[in-house]
Amino acid sequence: MVNYGGDEVSALVLDIGTSTVRAGYAGDDTPKAVIPTCYGHMEEQGDGDVNMEGAEEGAQAPKKKTTLYVGQNGPSVWRAGMHIAHPVQNSLITDFTPIPALVSHVFKEVMRTDPSEHPVLVTEPAWNTPENRERMAEIMFEEFDVPAFYIANTGVLNAFAAGKGSALVIDVGQSTASVTPIVDGFVLRTGLSYSGLPQLIHAHSKFTLTTPQPGRTGIQLIPHQLITNKQPVDPTFPPKFVLREDRVPGVTDSWRSWYEAREVEEWIQSVAGVLDQGWNDQAAAQRGPRHYEFPTGYNTYFGPERFSVGELYFSHSPQLVASNPNLPKTIPALISSALGKCDPDIRQVLLGNIVLTGGGSMLSGFADRLSAELQRNVSHVKIHAPGNPSERRYGGWLGGSILASLGTFHQLWISKEEWKEHGKAIVGQRCK
Amino acid sequence: MAGPSAADVRSVFSLPSTPGPSQPKAPPATERARKPEGMSRELYSLIGQSAPTLVAQLAKPRLKQKPNLGGGGRAKWEWRSFQNQVRSDGLRLSHWVKAGTPHDAEYPFAQYNVQNTTYTYTQDEYTKFLVDKDWTREETDYLFDLVRQYDQRFYIVADRYEYPEGPQRSMEDLKDRYFSVCRKLVRNRPWSGDEGAKAQILSSYAFDKEREVMRKKYLESLESRTPNEIAEEEALFTELKRLEQNERRFKKERDELLRTLLGIESGLPDVQAEEEGITGTSQAESISAVSTKKTKKKVAAEPETPTSASASASYTTVSLAPPIPKKQSAKSAAYDALHCIHRTEVPQLTTATATKAAHQPVYLRSYKLPAPKSANAHKIAQVLGELSVSSSRLVMPTKDNCQKLEALLEAATALVETKKQVDKIDQEIRLAQERLGQGSADGDADADAEEDTMDVDEPIEEDGRAQSVASAKSGRSSRARRQSS
Repeated sequence: MVNYGGDEVSALVLDIGTSTVRAGYAGDDTPKAVIPTCYGHMEEQGDGDVNMEGAEEGAQAPKKKTTLYVGQNGPSVWRAGMHIAHPVQNSLITDFTPIPALVSHVFKEVMRTDPSEHPVLVTEPAWNTPENRERMAEIMFEEFDVPAFYIANTGVLNAFAAGKGSALVIDVGQSTASVTPIVDGFVLRTGLSYSGLPQLIHAHSKFTLTTPQPGRTGIQLIPHQLITNKQPVDPTFPPKFVLREDRVPGVTDSWRSWYEAREVEEWIQSVAGVLDQGWNDQAAAQRGPRHYEFPTGYNTYFGPERFSVGELYFSHSPQLVASNPNLPKTIPALISSALGKCDPDIRQVLLGNIVLTGGGSMLSGFADRLSAELQRNVSHVKIHAPGNPSERRYGGWLGGSILASLGTFHQLWISKEEWKEHGKAIVGQRCK
Repeated sequence: MAGPSAADVRSVFSLPSTPGPSQPKAPPATERARKPEGMSRELYSLIGQSAPTLVAQLAKPRLKQKPNLGGGGRAKWEWRSFQNQVRSDGLRLSHWVKAGTPHDAEYPFAQYNVQNTTYTYTQDEYTKFLVDKDWTREETDYLFDLVRQYDQRFYIVADRYEYPEGPQRSMEDLKDRYFSVCRKLVRNRPWSGDEGAKAQILSSYAFDKEREVMRKKYLESLESRTPNEIAEEEALFTELKRLEQNERRFKKERDELLRTLLGIESGLPDVQAEEEGITGTSQAESISAVSTKKTKKKVAAEPETPTSASASASYTTVSLAPPIPKKQSAKSAAYDALHCIHRTEVPQLTTATATKAAHQPVYLRSYKLPAPKSANAHKIAQVLGELSVSSSRLVMPTKDNCQKLEALLEAATALVETKKQVDKIDQEIRLAQERLGQGSADGDADADAEEDTMDVDEPIEEDGRAQSVASAKSGRSSRARRQSS
């Protein structure tokens, strides 16, 4: 038992990201439950099949009941008049109202476990505010009555998932790309740099898809929930489908935009790629086009445009820079700014231990391009990029799973007793 | 109560016992004589029946008892709550433990919670030893607290250091303060152990801030090199390596040559020993070697001046031939004359320099005869052929003969060149006259023709003169040849 340092205490690990909430038992290699973070809510009395009783809305609607729809059947199921809200923005929890419902759903409904019997490890981004983490601890202790709690940094956990104590973690998520220097399991806050780069890629992709391009018209992003039937058509021919007219009036703007974002995200994940060696029109044209079919039945082949999407991660074209002065930093710019603020002594250590993680980094050719970019400027670069998609996607959760099953870690838990004795201050003291 | 087995049934019906598929096959060893116990199978198959069974039977070996691995039973595990002694609170977590372990056993991971020794100081000590004009007591306390919290990880300490209203502190500032305080405390507190241990502890707290800052600065400048600079550095480095390698190879070859020819050690200085000098001197030498090559044709006979006095001085011992005395004694001169020995002035530098390019190996004199220019080679060969002199081969290439042949070749070349010039001018004149003749009236063509012949005549005469010179020379050279042979 002592040999490999593990001691399972059946802890739960909870990783709340911008796109999904991941939860599972410590010691597993993949999370047991993965549900979307966003949720549907309705002001009126819902029919309440899978509804969670949420907290009361604010002062404006004191007696109005809000029904929350969370989980796999939450936002993705069409309901007349349902709005979609995103509690997590830029990896930070901005709205704590639905968090208890989400946590309760993922633990009790999906995992069928009782959080009051298990210590819970929660993750946080490196730029989390003290108020946020204290609020999280409060929710866990007060609402879920957990015996012990700990909040750990996703950057550190990603480094642990890669088996490293010191690393430069490049995490490309759904909304934020961050570069976090980790030394001995601590974040160097001065070196931390992050930007909303994935959002730019998202906006660019959406623009590319919905505006007419040479060879095709603009693509309609109509949710499949609103389509009665469709007929197969040849590539680039106009789609033949029938709308569900009965549902169209009940569609809210937030639901539609959520769906469109999801559709664009799916398109990026399945089609977009990155060229290995910098942008090159010829190389982009040489790579084979990829076929993609939208819910309307419209389908086509995407050639160079799928690489222009991925290219934005690494360089911005001069026109784009000229038109928008506040562009989010590219990945190489983030890395160099992170390294520039670190001590020269540890730069070599960090460069030798680069960990690439996050679902956004799953674009084909991303890791190759990154290593090509880095090798151009510095020597002795070593990139750890897990080939296993679940390891890359859920790196933060995996690190938490490793950490919470270590025998030496169990002295760090904040127990309920300590919470009662010291209050919120203990969180900042214990979780550095 | 087990039911009757198949064997029982068979015996009841007195059937022959045919083992079913589930039953193990009866060992066929029954007909063969049994292998005596304690004898290996290989040995038995070698000696067969004639085994000395008695001996084997008598000394029945005692085999080791088979180890009892786990005893075949299942390990029983219990889900048991435990308390970590390192924790200050009474948190009880649960984990699986083997059923046998005692309940009050210490948590096995508690032993890994080791704390670094940290120094604390009293107000009295602070005012006595530790006062620093840049640091307040409170800030020093804050620093020590951080260092304790982060187990002396100064990268983290510097990262998290946020003392309100304090000046900006670099990592070196923090380290300097921390270590200097520790040093002062160790030095001024009563020490019970021996002095050696104290010195060791003091040296472990040594920190030279200036040096660290300087080192970091160097490191940064090293990192901020442009790609061009890096490429240049690398190119220079590979060049250096290449030169060293050449040097080494050349030295080896030379050593070998000297050993086989003269049976002496070359005495060349080891390449490694003069590595630092290579880049400077070898370049100069290679340049001088090039210039030597250029001038060799003209001044092959006269000795070349060494590029630097030191170079020649350091290499005089390693010339190929034994060093020639500058002033020949009368006796040796007579000896040389008698034996037809011509002592060429060996250029000191060319043999002495350590680079291969500058080294002039032994050669046959006839190899050094100048070859005529390829454009004229054919004509010169023709001229020599008329004189019945072979340009490529000398029957007796003595020094005199070689010189003569050289002179002859030179003359022939001059002759051919002149002839060529003359032909060219001749042609030009003809062309000009033709043009003139066409442009002007036909009437005075005769007068022109008269002039023409006069003009043309002159070069012919010259040619003839040249030929006569050549013949005179060739006559002389043939005479000389006859003399020397």
